[in-house]
Amino acid sequence: CRRLTEQEYSMVADILCEFLEVAIHLILYVREVYPSGIFQKRKKYNVPVQMSCHPELNQYIQDTLHCVKPLIEKNDAEKVVVVIMDKEHHPVERFVFEISQPPLLSIRFSSPLLIRNDTLLSHVEQLLRAFILKISVCDAVLNNNPPGCSFTVLVHTRDAATRNMEKVQVIKDFPWIVADEQEVHMQEPRLIPLKTMTSDIVKMQLYVEERTQKT
Amino acid sequence: MDELYLDNIDEFVNDHDKIVTYKWLSLTLGIHVNTAKQMLFHYLDHKRKESSAQLHATYLVSGKFVDNGQTSHKVSVVREEQLEDVKAKMSLIVSVHVYSVQKALLKDSGPLYSVDYDAVKDNLKNCSKYSAIRCATAVPMSSLELQQAREMHRPPSPEPENKKPAMNGNGILASKPSAKPAKGIMGMFANKSTPKNQDSGREIKSEQKEDAPVVDAPKSRPAAKANPMMNFFGSQPASKQHFRKNKRIEDSDSEEDKMEKKKRRRIKLPEPDSSDEDVIPDSPPQMETREASPSPKKEVEAVTHSYGNSDGKIRKRRRVLKSRTFVDEEGCIVTEKGYESESYSETEDDFQPTKQALRDPFKASSSKDDEKKSQKKSSASANKGTKQASIMGFFQKK
Repeated sequence: CRRLTEQEYSMVADILCEFLEVAIHLILYVREVYPSGIFQKRKKYNVPVQMSCHPELNQYIQDTLHCVKPLIEKNDAEKVVVVIMDKEHHPVERFVFEISQPPLLSIRFSSPLLIRNDTLLSHVEQLLRAFILKISVCDAVLNNNPPGCSFTVLVHTRDAATRNMEKVQVIKDFPWIVADEQEVHMQEPRLIPLKTMTSDIVKMQLYVEERTQKT
Repeated sequence: MDELYLDNIDEFVNDHDKIVTYKWLSLTLGIHVNTAKQMLFHYLDHKRKESSAQLHATYLVSGKFVDNGQTSHKVSVVREEQLEDVKAKMSLIVSVHVYSVQKALLKDSGPLYSVDYDAVKDNLKNCSKYSAIRCATAVPMSSLELQQAREMHRPPSPEPENKKPAMNGNGILASKPSAKPAKGIMGMFANKSTPKNQDSGREIKSEQKEDAPVVDAPKSRPAAKANPMMNFFGSQPASKQHFRKNKRIEDSDSEEDKMEKKKRRRIKLPEPDSSDEDVIPDSPPQMETREASPSPKKEVEAVTHSYGNSDGKIRKRRRVLKSRTFVDEEGCIVTEKGYESESYSETEDDFQPTKQALRDPFKASSSKDDEKKSQKKSSASANKGTKQASIMGFFQKK
């Protein structure tokens, strides 16, 4: 068994951030947070996905993930949550991505740059594809949202927030703040598991917390 | 047929929330595709009689379609609500069957492709095992024949007729295994590569003779030119473009039908450009309402011509879909996507990411959104310079 190298952790963080970007766009599309007209069909993991064309929305999501990436690299990010809120800024849905990375790699990945391992990457791609598919059909298990919803992204860190606040303020004029209690916790949530994946380099679980009364 | 399959499908659809396509069902249960289609139909029927279950279905409709005097064969996957509508528009219906059954209402056709992807990939060598499409002369080439074919490169020189079907069939298998899974579905995404069209062409032939699974493909081959598409549609070159054009329109139409009416998309009919291989759509006109947005255009590249270069690299010109963004007199951000000629050499990477903005639909909506937009504006504007290499990489990949 060996530990991953810094470079490998960075590559895993890259893969995760790319995935989260696609997932966030897809959630916004499927849950109709924005009109479907701003979305365009693109290809990721060899399957069609919907990505927004709106430059400010895209920039916002990219900047968010750019700041999240250093936390993921250090395995400090426990959860990345996409919160959908109603007009009164009360959360109606929370898409929770729980992420964990194994501290040690099994012996069969003895070569230093395991990320170049095609079988592994292809396997991870397959697992991420399944997540994408699950998000596409999550309408089946969720109630409709009220009109006029907005969204935000929260990161739950493993250690104290203060230490991680410095790490996350990576982009000038893109400030992160400690989240309100009301954004973090939902009243009487229903828990709907969507997908789980386990691989040698990362474990991820996606579930939705849904407010019982949305309107 | 025993009733066990009903429970099976029920488990997939209700417990696992799967989208069950006939192809996936066929590969998973190891049954012929026609059996799978019937099973899905019976399941739908049964479920709806028994309880008002919340089930949605998509159908595959295939037949002749007349458009501006030109007849073509059209294959489309449509939502249940649009089925009668689409059937009425066809001049001749060759085949209608259940394509998929799922619990969720699908907003677009993307997941229908994704759901089959892994099942087909795992069965790539024999994904036509349960298929109704057969071609007796399509046999894999021996390694010697394969080598000979590779040495010919482009264009394939005239060969004995019985060899050609094998080469085409195998060429497709060898060069684009990922195209195979999609067959009729990928045709909907209006991809321009010939192998995919050929596959759709084959599927079409078989739909016409559903009872007789053997496709008499060799019959049309003697009329062949280098382009395999010609084999099936035999007529002038316009037919090839036309076929694709219809695929694209039909795809846009299906997508359009799937959108809510209030979105008011306008799909412009693409006009074939004689110098291009592919059909190029016009840039979308500006919309009147603020809610509407330009129709989505597929990004298509076409190599118009190439000329040699002294240092050995081939510089080609190609037409690339580029977006131009500007603020119009009403203060809305408008995107125009248009084709521009661009010079590139073969060794270069793909074109740079284009900046895209849409007519800002948010201006007309609630003030809360405006507030959010202005917050985003302030944070975003300061960061125009920041580029994150790994995520921008997404936009450069194809």
